Amino acid sequence: MSQAVPPLLSVRPSRALVDEKFSVLVENLPPGCPVTIRSLYQSEDKDFWEAYGHYVSNHKGTVSVSEDISLGGTYTGKEAMGLLWSMRPIPGSRKGLRLRKKDTCAPMLVTISVYSGHGDVRDQAPLASALVERWHVAPGVQRIEITEKGVRGTLFLPPGPGPFPAMLDLWGGGGGLQEYRAALLACRGFASLALEYLKSNDTKPKGLDMKYFETAFEIIRSHPQVIPDRVGIIGLCFGTLMTLSLAAECPTIKPRCIVCISNIHSKSNENTIQEFPQEIPEKYNKIHMMEDVVVWRDMGLAVLEVGHPKVKVGNIDCPMLLINGTDDQNWPTVEVASDIIKTMREAGKESLVTRLDYPDAGHLIEPPFSPHFRAANFMLHGTKKKVMMLWGGKTKPHADAQEDSWKKILSFLQLHLYGAPSLKANL
Amino acid sequence: FNLWAVRAVRAVRVSSIRPAPLLTATPVRTLVDEQTCIKASFLPSNHPVTVCARMRSDEGDLWQSFAHYNSNSRGTFDLNSDLSVGGSYSGCEPMGLFWSMQPAPGERDGLRLRKKCVESPYTVHISLLEGHVSPNQEPVKELAAVTAERWYMAPGVKRQEIRQNGLVGTLFIPPGPGPFPAMLDMWGMGGGLPEYRSSLFASRGYASFCLAYVGHKDLPGPPNTINVGDSYFQAAFQFLQDHSHIAADKVGIVGLSYGCYLTFHTATLAGVKPACLIGINGPVGSSRELLRVNAFSFMTLLSLKHILCILQILMKPLVLMQLEEITCPLMFVVGEDDMSASSIENADLIEETLRAAGKSHLFTRLSYPGAGHLIEPPYSPMSRASFWAVKPKKREMMTLWGGHPAPHAAAQEDAWKKMLEFMELNLRPKLTASVLHVKAKRQ
Repeated sequence: MSQAVPPLLSVRPSRALVDEKFSVLVENLPPGCPVTIRSLYQSEDKDFWEAYGHYVSNHKGTVSVSEDISLGGTYTGKEAMGLLWSMRPIPGSRKGLRLRKKDTCAPMLVTISVYSGHGDVRDQAPLASALVERWHVAPGVQRIEITEKGVRGTLFLPPGPGPFPAMLDLWGGGGGLQEYRAALLACRGFASLALEYLKSNDTKPKGLDMKYFETAFEIIRSHPQVIPDRVGIIGLCFGTLMTLSLAAECPTIKPRCIVCISNIHSKSNENTIQEFPQEIPEKYNKIHMMEDVVVWRDMGLAVLEVGHPKVKVGNIDCPMLLINGTDDQNWPTVEVASDIIKTMREAGKESLVTRLDYPDAGHLIEPPFSPHFRAANFMLHGTKKKVMMLWGGKTKPHADAQEDSWKKILSFLQLHLYGAPSLKANL
Repeated sequence: FNLWAVRAVRAVRVSSIRPAPLLTATPVRTLVDEQTCIKASFLPSNHPVTVCARMRSDEGDLWQSFAHYNSNSRGTFDLNSDLSVGGSYSGCEPMGLFWSMQPAPGERDGLRLRKKCVESPYTVHISLLEGHVSPNQEPVKELAAVTAERWYMAPGVKRQEIRQNGLVGTLFIPPGPGPFPAMLDMWGMGGGLPEYRSSLFASRGYASFCLAYVGHKDLPGPPNTINVGDSYFQAAFQFLQDHSHIAADKVGIVGLSYGCYLTFHTATLAGVKPACLIGINGPVGSSRELLRVNAFSFMTLLSLKHILCILQILMKPLVLMQLEEITCPLMFVVGEDDMSASSIENADLIEETLRAAGKSHLFTRLSYPGAGHLIEPPYSPMSRASFWAVKPKKREMMTLWGGHPAPHAAAQEDAWKKMLEFMELNLRPKLTASVLHVKAKRQ
């Protein structure tokens, strides 16, 4: 009696960087066989995340996730990477989870399995499975903890002698030190410093001192493997406010280019960017609560409308890339982008701005293939209060925005930081 | 025209220092039998450069290769499409930097690259150097670099040392529930326990058991003779069939050099029913005489081939009987420049024997001009000759394996692909509609 050999599941490459695609192939199924392909990942916080798609094998008994169409599951359609970006916490998990890698030097281990049928597969044994590694660092990338001159951050250096162009990487109001985007930028040839400027365990909001950022920028600029006049800044959310402020109002920091994701440009008062995350909500009581979820978007609109002080972006002299999602529920970032462009137009510098608006994407536009969360837990900085914040976005368009914007960020940075743009007049 | 626009244009400064060119390898972590694309950009246009690859073996020896390229008018080049105009290889060779590696000048003689520890990767440093240079000439200017990892094991593959029932070997099991088709994997008379082919098979979905039979500390008797008999190989095959993760009727055998003889011999033993056989550059006869050290004391650089030819003529009747009994598909891989075994003659012998027995449909020959004895997994460097320890160790001799780098590399790449296809065909039968229909009708 012949013992059936189960189908063969292969994922290539089995070890990849997190912004690289993989091909998932199942072979040796019976023809026309309904199967479920499922991904499972246990985060560093021990939560389980999963995604799955429903497929039917062809006459040769194969299913190719890159070529075939998912008929149901956490994603549908032809989606090579749906098994990653459509991940969400398994049923019964804690609420409001967000997936962010803390240890950037170890890979994510994702199990991809194939099951028979289109029903609930969680109690079934898989027909076959494979293990995939997703890395934030490439071999040879150096990770250096920075604690000099009072600056706290992590520097990632690409392999090789350099010299390299560099990036200052600023995250948002959640605070702490998120390294994963800087690590990826180093894999792509940019020395990158992820800067901690809002300590997550501060009980009182600290004033944000321009000097701190100047020192950080100087640390990058003076690194022996960095080219001093090819340093850019990338920021998301509150980090955009910092990025724009540094480029516009800080005389010693002259970035070669800036990338602003989910734009915010309103300051708490004319002269400082202090205590913004806490002050604004108190001042403007237009925060909505929708079924226990905090929505800041309308407050942001009110801030814009009343002409609250904002960064003088008209002083910015370098190319800027503005990336926003139209379904951003945390801040009216698209309206902010329009306001920035209006100001730049008035200053005659509209040609410096490239604007990317992504329909139905939310606030947290992160490196590609990371899961989307419409709402997630958020610790208001400087308080111990945890709320469920609505970030917005619909999963598939948000995933597209992440994939597309990352490609465009890399080509923008390559153009301005690697290329040697000539002084051709854009008249 | 307005003043503000001029100001904006002037603001785009030209840097006084240019960034280093960008050198990339994609993907940067691969299995040893996978390709990686090496590209460079942001070079000056039509500019001569050298790409150099360096890595250390498990023993600490430095292996390296280099090739000369010219960037195109856009300042880029791509090993997938551009031509090397000099160095360790020439022409369009996407993986040339890997297979053309040789020991660096000053390293020990007679080296052969074999991975001892399959759980760690080879770390290959790939550099871009200014101009068409040799990496060992001073001074060289490094423009950029990238580090690639080459792995012999995919994530999730399990490695188990097997020391039971007298068996000495290592078992590799793919991830997943199984049951898996499997291969019994044997190497040549150099002895020891090379694991790297088995770990790659497991990374491709085949459980694989590499078996030691000579020259291993855990085997009985003196290390310079084979002290295990037929029952040992029967037990090894049985071990795979009995394993809970392995499909009992989907077990094949593969062997290189003397392991090839053992492959065919084991296939004819009682109770052994392999699903397929693969032999690489091996003899189809054996004699106890072969194993005595004295036989080799005359042979400094003389190839083993001539000795074996003589022995085969003496051995003929014994050999014929064995091969006739084979009942499963058999693939035989020949390096036509094999200086260690008379592979072509052996292949002819097998083909003739099977034809006479009415079994030519079982036989597949892959023949590679310019390839030597050691046809190993692809993109690995080759050694035309190396020190081969014939015990006792003091009598180490330089053995000529044969083969020339480019054709040998092509043979390794092609043979591996075809071996995997052969295994796929015989160990993982496709459940086509017609097969299911026949099955259904029978019920």
